[in-house]
Amino acid sequence: MTKTSLLRTLVNIEWAGLLGVVILAVVIMAFASPAFLSTYNQYVLMRDVAITLLVALSQLVVLAIGQMNLSLGMIGGLVVVITGGLMEVWHVPVPLSVLIGVIVGTACGLLNGFIIVRSGINSFIVTIATSSVFLGINYGMTEAVPFYNLTPEFKAFGQARWGSFPPILIVTIIVTILIAIFFARTIPGRQILAVGGNLLASQTSGVPVGRTVMMAHAISGAIAAVAGILLMARLGQAQPTIGQNWLLPSFAAPIIGGVALSGGSVTIMGTVLAALLIAIIQDALVLLNADPYYVQFLLGVLILAAVGFDRLAKRQREA
Amino acid sequence: MENSEVLALEAVGMYKAFPGVQALDNVDLRLRHGEIQALIGENGAGKSTLIKIITGLYKQDQGILRLDGREVEFSNTHEAMKAGISFVPQERNLIPAFTVGENIVMGRTPTKGVFVDYAAVNREAQRWLDVMGLDIAPTTVVKNLSAAQMQLVEIAKALSMENKVLLLDEPTASITPHEAEFLFEVLRGLKKRGVAILFVSHKLEEVYELCDRVTVLRDGRNACTDEPLATMDRDRLVSLMIGRTQKVTELPAKPIERDEPILEVRGLRAKSGTNGVDFKLYRGEILGLYGLVGAGRSELARALVGASKIIGGEVIIQGKPAKIHSVSDALNRHGIGYVSEDRKVEGLILPHSVAANISITIWRRIGGPFGWIWSRKEKGLVKEYVDKLDIKTPSLMQLVKNLSGGNQQKVSLAKWLAAQARILIIDEPTVGIDIKTKYALHDLIWNLAKQGQAILLISSDMPEMIRLADRILVMKNHQIVGEIQNNHNYEQISAAIMQKLM
Repeated sequence: MTKTSLLRTLVNIEWAGLLGVVILAVVIMAFASPAFLSTYNQYVLMRDVAITLLVALSQLVVLAIGQMNLSLGMIGGLVVVITGGLMEVWHVPVPLSVLIGVIVGTACGLLNGFIIVRSGINSFIVTIATSSVFLGINYGMTEAVPFYNLTPEFKAFGQARWGSFPPILIVTIIVTILIAIFFARTIPGRQILAVGGNLLASQTSGVPVGRTVMMAHAISGAIAAVAGILLMARLGQAQPTIGQNWLLPSFAAPIIGGVALSGGSVTIMGTVLAALLIAIIQDALVLLNADPYYVQFLLGVLILAAVGFDRLAKRQREA
Repeated sequence: MENSEVLALEAVGMYKAFPGVQALDNVDLRLRHGEIQALIGENGAGKSTLIKIITGLYKQDQGILRLDGREVEFSNTHEAMKAGISFVPQERNLIPAFTVGENIVMGRTPTKGVFVDYAAVNREAQRWLDVMGLDIAPTTVVKNLSAAQMQLVEIAKALSMENKVLLLDEPTASITPHEAEFLFEVLRGLKKRGVAILFVSHKLEEVYELCDRVTVLRDGRNACTDEPLATMDRDRLVSLMIGRTQKVTELPAKPIERDEPILEVRGLRAKSGTNGVDFKLYRGEILGLYGLVGAGRSELARALVGASKIIGGEVIIQGKPAKIHSVSDALNRHGIGYVSEDRKVEGLILPHSVAANISITIWRRIGGPFGWIWSRKEKGLVKEYVDKLDIKTPSLMQLVKNLSGGNQQKVSLAKWLAAQARILIIDEPTVGIDIKTKYALHDLIWNLAKQGQAILLISSDMPEMIRLADRILVMKNHQIVGEIQNNHNYEQISAAIMQKLM
C-alpha cells in the first residue's frame, strides 16, 4: 500500500520524478568524471540547453493543440541563412536582421497553420511537405554554402562566456517565461489548450478554432527562428544545415517532460528538466569518451522509458 | 429458497474496494435462464463495478461467481466471453469504417487461407440479424447506421457468440422510445429462447415494461435482491434506490413574458437539413422540441448556434433580424448558448479544470490588455456559478473528468450562464444521469426559466419533456409537424405527441 501511494504522489507532481532523475544524473556524473562540475563544462551544458529548450518549446506549442510541426528544423535553417545573408551580403544592422529572421520564421509557421486549417489536411503531412519546401528554398539560395562573415558583435554575443553562464541562455530564459505566462494567463494561450483538450467543445463554446491553430503554428515558427539565430551566433557562421538534427530532441524533451501528444496540457517545468537531462546525457557521453553517436540510441531509449512510465502511471491511477 | 435450482449466473457476497471507497459491500445477484432481471441504482451505487467483475475486467476482493452452478473466475474479458457471458456496454464498441458483418464476427472472422472469407462473414452475420428480425444488410458500413441500429448490431454481435447470459448496460440511453420498443421485442424473443438477461437502466418505465425481477443497489449494497417486479410498486422501487421516499412533485406554473418573443424563427432552412421551421420563444418559457432520433432537432439547434450554415428564412432576436455566421457570432453578438447533448464530446474539456471549463465562454469579456486573464476575477466569476448551480467539487481546480455525470452537466450549463446567454438551447440534459440528480437538474432548468431565461429544450425523454416544457413542438423530417400546449398530464400529452408523430 505504501509503495503505491508513494508512486501515486510522485505521479501527481508531474515533473517530480524527472527532477529526481536529473539530480541523480548530476550526482553520478560528479563522481564519474571530475571535469563534469568544472566551470567550463557547466558553460557547455547550459549552452546546449539554451538551444535544445527552444527547439522543444517550438514543438510544445504545436503539441498543445494536438498537432505536430515536423518542419521546425527547416524553418530554423531557412531563418539562419536569411538572417546571415542580410548581415554578410547587405550589411543590415543586427537588430533589423534578427527581427526580419523572426518574422520569416513566424510567417513559415503561419503558412503551416494556414494550410492545415484551410485544407483540413493532417499537420503531419502538411509540415513534412513544407519542411522540404523550406529546405529547398534554403539550398536554392545558398547552394549549401554557409555565410561566414557575420557581424562581429553578433558573434561575440553568441560566443561570450560569463564564468559558467552563456549569455545566449538569457534569451532562452525570457522565451521560456513568456511561454509559461502565455499558457497560464492569457486568452490565446488558454484557447490553444482548450482546442487541444477538446476541439468540438471549444468550437461550440465560441473559441475561434482556425485562428487558434494558426496562432500556435506561428508561435512555433517564431521560436524555431530564435533557436536558429542563437545557434548561428554560437557557431559564428550561418550554416544552411542548422536545424536538420532538431526533430528528435524537439519531441524528446516535451514527451519526456510529460506533455500529452493528444494535446490540451503542457508542462513547461517538465520540458525544461527534460531538455536539461538530454544535455547532461550528451555531455556525459563526451566526458566519458563514449561514441557520440550513442546519443541517438539513448534518446530513443529515454523516450520509450518516459512513455512507458506515463502508461504505468495511468494504470495506477485507474486501478 | 430452493437449493436445487441451477441459476444461469450467480454472484454471492461480492466485495470490491477502491482507494477511499467500498464500491461493493456484500452484493448478491441472481440470473435465471429465460428471465429478464433489472439491475437499477443511482450513479455510484456499484452497478458498473459489479458488471465489470462479472465480465472479467475487475477482480473481486471477496465473493463467488457461479455460471450454471459452477464456480468460475475470469482474469480478463475474453475469458468471460468464452465462458458464455456477453456484454453490451453503454458506449459503442463497433468499428465505424467496417461493415456490420465484419463487426458481428469480429475476433472470429472466417478465413480462406490467409484471406478473409467475406461470403462466410456475411452469411454468419445474416443469421444473427435474422434472429433479431433486423432489416440491415451485413454489408452496410456501420458509420451509416443510426444510433439505435448500432445498438441493435451490438446486441447481434453479443448474440453471435451464442452465449446464454446477456448483460445490457443502459441500452436505451441513446435511442428513442419507438426504437426501444423494437429492442424490447427482440429481448423478449431472446428470453423465450432461454437466454438470461441482465438489464441495467435508469428508466423505471422500461424496467416495468420489460423485466420480470429486479435487484436494486444503493451505496454498494443490495437494497433488494431478485424480487419479482409484479409485487413492487413504483414508489417503493424509487425509495429503495434513493434510500427515502421521493415524491415527484409537479412543477408549479411560472410567468411567461408573452409580449415580445426573444427569438422568432421564420421559414428557417439550413445546410444541416432544417427545412422550413417556424416558431417563437418567449422570455421565461421552456419550449420543448420533441422528435425521434433523426427528426432534425439537434440539426436545428446547430443552425441556431451558427455551427451549420443558414441558407434560407429569418432568425429574429428581440424584434431585430439576426445574422448568425459562426458560433462566436451566436454567442457574443446574439447571446445564444448551446448545452450539447454529448457533454463529453462537444460540451466539456474533460482533462481541464472546472474553472477553465466554465470560464471558456467569458475569456474575451474578462480579458485585459494582451489578452491577460486576472486569476482572481476569473475565479470569482466561476465561483458564483459553482455556488448558484450547487456544483459538487472539492475545488475550482478539480479536473472535470473526476466529477460525476450530474455535476459535469451542471458545469456544462454553468458555462453558458456565465456567458450570460439570453437564449439557452439545452440538448438532452439528463441522458445517463441518475434519478435524484435528474430531478435536481429539472428544478435548476425550471428555476432558470422562472428568472426570465428563455430555454429551448430538446429531449427524447417523454416524462422529462412533459414535466418541464410549457409548449412542445413536435419535429419530424426536419420540420415542425405540431405544437402542443402542455398541461403536464402525461397520458394526454404523450398520446397527443405520438399522434403527431404518426
